[in-house]
Amino acid sequence: MMDLIVKAIAYSSCIGIGAASITMIYDATRTFNFAHASMVSYGMYVAFIAVYLLGFTPYHALPLAILVGGGLGLVTYYGVNKWLLKARASETNLMMSTLGVDLVMFGFLNVLSDYLIQVHKVPAKFFVLETRDIMIQVGDTSIRLVGIVAPLVLAAIVVSLHIFLTRTKIGVAMRASIENPALASISGINTDVVYALAWLIGGALATLSGLLISLVVTGYTAAGMTMIVSFFAGSIVGGLFSIFGSLLGGLLVGLSEFLGISLLGSVLGGWIYAYRPAIPLAAMAITLLLKPEGLAGFFVKVRE
Amino acid sequence: MIPPELLLIIINFAIGLIITISLNIEVGFLNIPQFGRLLSVVMGAIIAAAVPGRILAAILGYPWGAEYADHMHNYKIVSEINKVLASNPWLSIGVFILTLIIAALIGGLMGLLCAYPALRLKETLGITLLAFGDLAVTIAWNYDPLVGGTTGVFVVDPFTFVGSQLRFTIAALAALIVALAVYFYAELLARSPYGRMLKAIRDSEVAAAVYGKDVVKARKQVLIVGGAISAMAGAIWALFTGSMKASTYTRLQWTFWPWAFMMLGGVGNNLGIFIGVLIYTIARFLIIVYKGAISALIGISPEWLEYILIGLLIIVIVLFRPQGLLPEKPVYSLPKNKVNSIISKVEGEAGGEKSPTSSQSTSEKTSVTT
Repeated sequence: MMDLIVKAIAYSSCIGIGAASITMIYDATRTFNFAHASMVSYGMYVAFIAVYLLGFTPYHALPLAILVGGGLGLVTYYGVNKWLLKARASETNLMMSTLGVDLVMFGFLNVLSDYLIQVHKVPAKFFVLETRDIMIQVGDTSIRLVGIVAPLVLAAIVVSLHIFLTRTKIGVAMRASIENPALASISGINTDVVYALAWLIGGALATLSGLLISLVVTGYTAAGMTMIVSFFAGSIVGGLFSIFGSLLGGLLVGLSEFLGISLLGSVLGGWIYAYRPAIPLAAMAITLLLKPEGLAGFFVKVRE
Repeated sequence: MIPPELLLIIINFAIGLIITISLNIEVGFLNIPQFGRLLSVVMGAIIAAAVPGRILAAILGYPWGAEYADHMHNYKIVSEINKVLASNPWLSIGVFILTLIIAALIGGLMGLLCAYPALRLKETLGITLLAFGDLAVTIAWNYDPLVGGTTGVFVVDPFTFVGSQLRFTIAALAALIVALAVYFYAELLARSPYGRMLKAIRDSEVAAAVYGKDVVKARKQVLIVGGAISAMAGAIWALFTGSMKASTYTRLQWTFWPWAFMMLGGVGNNLGIFIGVLIYTIARFLIIVYKGAISALIGISPEWLEYILIGLLIIVIVLFRPQGLLPEKPVYSLPKNKVNSIISKVEGEAGGEKSPTSSQSTSEKTSVTT
């Protein structure tokens, strides 16, 4: 039971981080980032390479994940998104373009996976890093380190994003251009830099969540694609217009996925476990139909 | 006899065309971000796998409840049914048509289901519909009594009466006939007053509403029609392959690829979509044929190369040609020669005078110079 709770906390923190990434990019550039799926998978493979090839723990690879994710985000922005924003493409086209980016990234990740298998003879097709986690003793029970690190990373992201968005000049500029791009660019803010920054941070958050989540779930190249609905659900439950709301929304979706299903399982019987993927969908549907402004609507006034 | 390579192209083209046309009716004509195409496609496949087999099993006295979908019994029951179908051509044709009708009805119902969020949501609609599709697959994958869950089921074969030699040929041609019928339906729809109303709503909802067009009703109807058509594609695919396994219905293949075809061909243009699906089907076929050569040449598994190429294709289209290969053209309500004759008549009445706009502009010019 203890292990389940620790796992649930780690998993939901990761979903929260990933949901924040989606919200960040959507708020800044109106783009629903489908490439998020592959970015998460890249994070998983960063953890895999750190463990199997470099002999580190996954935690040593945190800076590397940030670099990889930030890089992927910037490549997506400067390669595709920037030009579409310039041409004022429709939201559907923006979304489709990130789908194209996702497929390209997915293809290359599979090539990498094949390369790892053939050249380094490591099981890169499917991998479970759960057993490689560090166990620490708390009292008389031993718990996984990821159960502590993931919420800590989440908290660090909350604090640093808050400071960044309210105390630094570029952060304030970012908020301004998210709220009103036209006015912001008239007052001399370089929206290009702001958008690039959003993709940088968004990409880094996505791979970060992928790296941490690989310690809870099985890693494979399409793992991000399978989980992306959870991330979107977290973002939408959080309200889609508040980064902190989506951190919270992701936490909620992750917890209900992990703990809610075992609660239901104890009441209704084991057959319900198979329907776990339905939980984030249900959370999303309920939010959209009952409170479309999401969790953020409870504590932030959404301006029209 | 048609060679198997051509057969592969025909069946993939037919299924792709049906789904992409249904997508075009929703996205191209009315601008609904339908990222949940998978929902009605997989529902169609479920219907094809679960309903006609069960009806025949009940009539012929085989178990048709949960046992029908059980993998221990399913193959026996289905092979018995297929024997009956093999000796009954008219029954087989009836089963094929009945399956399509039921699939279309259920697909329409799914469209109606999608209408509930579609009338209320704006930015998040695409994601919500996508989630609906995934939910349907999750249920089919886990609820064994429906279509066998993880083991899948065999689907009754209404084409078996022509013999095993001709079976796939006839099945592919049947799919092609349905696809062409759907294409002509969509073309007629685009040319009809109703189709012009849809495009008017797409271009400006407010303006259309001002002229008394019921926007809500139109959205509902289009979602129902799109759902019904794409469910038929799912049903045909299940009947053609002769088996149904929920995990093979992925959102990549049944939602995103049709989107890519549509964007390649030209959103809103049926002919463009016809060409887009054809180009893509042939390109994919060539990749499959030259698999070995390609991977020897560049050292990448062709499976991944396909992902990379489709991804690049989508990016290139969105960046450089968002209107597609054949951009949408204004649709004339009358045949072209009639329109031309009316134009020449009007010009004849004007008696060779300059048209009002050009004379106005010249007068403006002169006023500026003076």
